[in-house]
Amino acid sequence: MAAPALSLLDNLVWRGDRLATPALQGRPTGHAALDAVLPGGGWPLAALSELLLPRNGVGELGLLLPLLANVPAGRWAACIAPPGLPYAPALAAAGVPLERLLIVQPESPAHARWAARQALDSRSCEVVLLWLVDADMGALRRLQLAAEESGTPLILLRPESAAHQPSPAVLRLALSPCRGGLGIRILKRRGPQLTEPLALELPWPGGGPRPDGGLEPPSTATGDPQPSSPSGKHALVRPLPPRSAPSGLHAGAQ
Amino acid sequence: MARGVEPGLGRASALAIAPELCLVDRQPALEHAALIDIATWAGRFTPAISLDPPHAILLEVETCLRLFGGLVPLGRQITKGIEELGFHARLAVAQTPLAARWLARFGAGDDAGKALAARLDPLPLIALADGTPVGPDSLDLLTGTGHASLGEVRRLPRHGLARRHAQAVTDALDRAYGRIPDPRPWFSPPERYASRLPLPTPSDQVDTLLFAARRLLAGLAGWLDARQAGIERFTLVLEFERNSQAPEAPLEIVLGTLSQDMQRCQLLAREHLNRLPLPAAVDALRLTADEPHPLAPPAGELFQGDDGQPGDAGLLLATLRARLGDQAVRCLTSHPDHRPEKAWRWVEPQPPDRSRGRQEPPLPASPRPLWLLPEPRPIPAPPPWTLLTGPERIASGWWDGPEATVRRDYFVARSQDGGLAWVFRDGVAPHYWYLHGHFA
Repeated sequence: MAAPALSLLDNLVWRGDRLATPALQGRPTGHAALDAVLPGGGWPLAALSELLLPRNGVGELGLLLPLLANVPAGRWAACIAPPGLPYAPALAAAGVPLERLLIVQPESPAHARWAARQALDSRSCEVVLLWLVDADMGALRRLQLAAEESGTPLILLRPESAAHQPSPAVLRLALSPCRGGLGIRILKRRGPQLTEPLALELPWPGGGPRPDGGLEPPSTATGDPQPSSPSGKHALVRPLPPRSAPSGLHAGAQ
Repeated sequence: MARGVEPGLGRASALAIAPELCLVDRQPALEHAALIDIATWAGRFTPAISLDPPHAILLEVETCLRLFGGLVPLGRQITKGIEELGFHARLAVAQTPLAARWLARFGAGDDAGKALAARLDPLPLIALADGTPVGPDSLDLLTGTGHASLGEVRRLPRHGLARRHAQAVTDALDRAYGRIPDPRPWFSPPERYASRLPLPTPSDQVDTLLFAARRLLAGLAGWLDARQAGIERFTLVLEFERNSQAPEAPLEIVLGTLSQDMQRCQLLAREHLNRLPLPAAVDALRLTADEPHPLAPPAGELFQGDDGQPGDAGLLLATLRARLGDQAVRCLTSHPDHRPEKAWRWVEPQPPDRSRGRQEPPLPASPRPLWLLPEPRPIPAPPPWTLLTGPERIASGWWDGPEATVRRDYFVARSQDGGLAWVFRDGVAPHYWYLHGHFA
């Protein structure tokens, strides 16, 4: 008698030790180990995600390759302001449809943000990747709103130094190179904080074994100070603030 | 107008009333060009159009009333459209072309339900000379005999008029009242659209130019609508003031897909105009359209929701290129060459709905990095990194000249932080080492 009611309640009430279930299922990242720890089981749709890189070429393209390879015909994958040159033969070998990969090289960060908003607003992009060094909170919030309204995942690639800045992104991943693949620390997600870094083995081009052998746990010595004890560090998921009320303004503040 | 300047007022009197009045000479050629523009635009309503110079256009609308939902909605659409073109029109409907012209000019306008004769009879005598060979002497004759309206003239004995050299009067009345046929030559719209709009005063304000461009685009929309066609690109030519260095600046606007959507044209025209530095004030705008291609009617959905609409990939491409420039928005492609720098190319992006599945060139068997440095970066020799695989020798390329010739041994190396890099040793002495890419 009580069991169905309880299970119903269970779906309605979010408990602090569980991942949130977003309204939209995420888009699978192509890496099962990463999907397992992301709310929604993949890259959040209609939201801003952030990847924080210690340097360019740390493995971010390898992480995003499955996403770029699955762009259906008639849609774009937009790369806005990439810091280097994505190498066409390697992308083609990984199955990325090059004719649907739009490389945008704007002359200023303002133009880059404009291009990203256009790409989101047009709803013709499967995913928008934006490399951005400096951005204030207002710009990020506008990007997050644009992503929310368009239903398109926007993935922001920023330097590691931005990890200490507040961000409206729903998902923040800090990437680090590690032997045999890519180390990922989840800085922010809708769910309890994951203190253990994740190690992903990125597929080697050509399908053979990686020349550096297998995966080895990433060193925890490098990187930012991170909460050492998992107890008491569970970040609670707050419900989304109502759109009309800007953050930082409380009802009684005036 | 508010000060009392009226048609027919002399130049000196008008200036005395309103000293700041801007007087412009009439240019009959421009008026005729405007008439042709309007007739071209009117092709969206009916194919049977006839020019009736100097200031009338005849549309045969009986056959298309049903399509536009009757006379009143059609008239509303025509009036609204002509206002978008920047003109002001008076409409009248009648069974014969001459009657329609007279009623438009002299009629009261609210008597469409009455019989033709009843509507024409009260018109003033001056209407007789409008669009007919009736001369002023005939009008003088009729005025002198005390007639003031068409109805009175119509009741005069016909042979009496003919005897007094006023045959033209009876002919005109017969044509207007539908007693003899009045065939008109059909107007055929031009094969390529070209239109020119002189600005009232030279301007370098983007908003003013856009306003003018909107008028030109409205004409283009009518022309395209008549052909059920779309265009892929059009050219907007800005003609600068006469004393400037460059006489004109063409602005080619690519729409990204076959379209007759004027919203899109305006949006892209705004982006292009914002980017263009104007060396002088613009005197006139000219619009020429690309060859039109037949356009399938849009496939509408019965239940059109806001969500899940696919989005316009071509529009995004056109918008980005309009503001950022063609060089900033490109696609990559691989190229069958063994030298890493030559194995890729920039290509013009094609709207995705049009790009075919391309034949991929054969790829090198060895793995290639995802990021390639634009220039190989020198690293200390021997490299401080662990070499994992290699060497892979990539050499030659003499056919592109000595500077493109390479002779390198490539290795996959693990850097200190664990990432994999693509490094090479130069084959020519002194065998420097370089970093060339990241497997990332």
